Amino acid sequence: MISNQTIKTSIDKLKAITKIDFSVRSMDGYPVAATDRMDEISVAAAQQFASSPADSQELQGFHFFKVQGEEVPEFILIAKGSGEDVHMIGRIAVSQLQDLIVAYKERFDKNNFVQNLLLDNLLLVDIYNRAKKLHIEPQMRRIVYIIETKNERDNSAMEVIRNLFGDDDGNLITEVDEKSIILIRCLQDEESYEDLEETAASIRDIMNSEAMIDVRVSCGTIVSEISQVSRSFKEARMALNVGKIFYSGDRIHMYSNLGIGRLIYQLPENLCQLFLREVFTKQQPETFDEETLTTINMFFGNSLNVSETARQLFVHRNTLVYRLEKLSRSTGLDIRSFDDAVTFKIALMVENYLKYMEKHRS
Amino acid sequence: MASLSLEHICKVYPNGFEAVKDFNLEIADKEFIIFVGPSGCGKSTTLRMVAGLEEISSGTLKIGDRVVNDVEPKDRDIAMVFQSYALYPHMTVYDNMAFSLKLRKTPKDQIDKMVREAAKILDLEKLLDRKPKALSGGQRQRVAMGRAIVRNPKVFLMDEPLSNLDAKLRVQMRTEISKLHQRLGATIIYVTHDQTEAMTLGTRIVVMKDGVVMQVDTPQNLYNKPANLFTAGFIGSPQMNFLDAKVLPDGGLDLGSAGKVALPAEKSKKLVDGGYVGKTVIMGVRPEHLNDDPEVVGKSNSVLDAKIEVYELLGAEVFLYFTINGSNMTARVNPKTDARTGSEVKFAIDVDKVHVFDKETELTITN
Repeated sequence: MISNQTIKTSIDKLKAITKIDFSVRSMDGYPVAATDRMDEISVAAAQQFASSPADSQELQGFHFFKVQGEEVPEFILIAKGSGEDVHMIGRIAVSQLQDLIVAYKERFDKNNFVQNLLLDNLLLVDIYNRAKKLHIEPQMRRIVYIIETKNERDNSAMEVIRNLFGDDDGNLITEVDEKSIILIRCLQDEESYEDLEETAASIRDIMNSEAMIDVRVSCGTIVSEISQVSRSFKEARMALNVGKIFYSGDRIHMYSNLGIGRLIYQLPENLCQLFLREVFTKQQPETFDEETLTTINMFFGNSLNVSETARQLFVHRNTLVYRLEKLSRSTGLDIRSFDDAVTFKIALMVENYLKYMEKHRS
Repeated sequence: MASLSLEHICKVYPNGFEAVKDFNLEIADKEFIIFVGPSGCGKSTTLRMVAGLEEISSGTLKIGDRVVNDVEPKDRDIAMVFQSYALYPHMTVYDNMAFSLKLRKTPKDQIDKMVREAAKILDLEKLLDRKPKALSGGQRQRVAMGRAIVRNPKVFLMDEPLSNLDAKLRVQMRTEISKLHQRLGATIIYVTHDQTEAMTLGTRIVVMKDGVVMQVDTPQNLYNKPANLFTAGFIGSPQMNFLDAKVLPDGGLDLGSAGKVALPAEKSKKLVDGGYVGKTVIMGVRPEHLNDDPEVVGKSNSVLDAKIEVYELLGAEVFLYFTINGSNMTARVNPKTDARTGSEVKFAIDVDKVHVFDKETELTITN
């Protein structure tokens, strides 16, 4: 919030340049700061202007202006004198004060600070200065969670998170888009990634049971400085994207557990396409029928164990072997051998990745 | 309260993984049904589909007479309880229970009535002003249940609600949930991987494996008449003993060097009529159906010779562990037994209680 002293300094400077006296009143009509007491303007007169729909008014040799905050008028500026010149200078002063109000609001707005911190919009020196002003401890173990709702967020999701992790414990909660809630959690010294995963599961469960909303929860890595929070946020964001592509059945995505999916996600798309063309020289994976895909997934799910896969597919072992040989003939990869299985698995993941990117572009 | 109908429900993820395959089940009003199975068998996925938190790939789900496949979770008239009983730390028990109703803009007087009613059912009346940190694990879980009860839903969905509690508390809460079911007269679907929980709580149990329903039946029937090898092995602790056996022309079982088993006429007939003579089948016998009492052994014509590897005294009973034809076996015997580690013991098999399974299909031939 802008201080009276700042307003006073600002109007003093304006007076020094323009030689016009100013008085700033609250919306109740009482003086906040002035270059001249202007006793002839009563509190009632200022209140009357405040309640009128007019943005500016000339009255008894004074110009009255409303100084807007972000949404509503916050002050009344009175410039002494009449005529066009005083009106124009009054408007300049109003503009100056409005900019100051917004700037000060931003400076002391925790939510604004957190959003800018996450999006890397702050200089390093500003991060520490503003954190200090907002009473945010700069050196602390923190982690960023992203809670993404299936549909556009309704207020209940935010309510649940605010009540679960109120900022009494130094936690910070904000949002950067319509579907995501960002939670910057302060951690106890002994909290491990296992504990953090449990917390993520709790968030999912309580969102399911209380707000009745399906959510995905992702989590970055632990940081110890406030300036590193954006890194944890980017990791959580990546974990969410990678999770949606490669582990779509899961709801909890920890950056530290992303595995090979993270590597593929960071590859340029043209390189992925090239890789797919090189691997699948004969048949492309998008032409596989459902039975083939089920067989492949089940075979991988059972760690390349033919007997167990056959049992789970309710087919005879020889039927499965026939299917795998057919696949080998059509793709040139025999997934019963470890090397070919690795290539095939990665290629399928790359295929999934490209499909996801294609879908999200369109 | 309401009945549920799951018809040909399937869940296929975008990567082609089939988590649930052709799930069919009719759940009657006020029934306490348990989904049980090992991790990854699709039980939680099925529950989440009922809740609306997971899309149904194909099939029809009805709550009462209404098809709810495309109905939002909050409009399905259900309530859920999960294993993580995360409570709002800065709210009292009362406010924790009232919170979801406030979100739904329920009038204050109605909230008060519902919270106090739920607190009475759960015996939480004296704790309403306390904050979560002043509660024990069991009390917290009761508050989590209270949050579900205040919604007054048609169906309760519980996903391993006791998993986070220690063993003693779990037993206590199991009884509480059972009482709660009787008091509320509610339809409850309860997911667990713990077969003891399943056996003690459910009016019917759905045994699942790899996304497939293996058997749906009462606890008693699952134990006494398992439909397949998986159910036979999954239900019961210690689990059922399994031995490969060759079917003899008279319908008896040849266990090789371990001896022969003469089955009752009805069981033998099923094996002979089923064309199993000369084929290898799997014989299943529960640990309590192996008896080391010399008097019983003397009268039996189906006896196993074993060397005891481990002796475990549990107070009211003794577990004896041994190996037959390379298979690990367990016998549950009277604590007065003379058998100790290293003893040579003869066990009489209670042939009336022997189960026989097809080795290929793993389905039960006779119980």
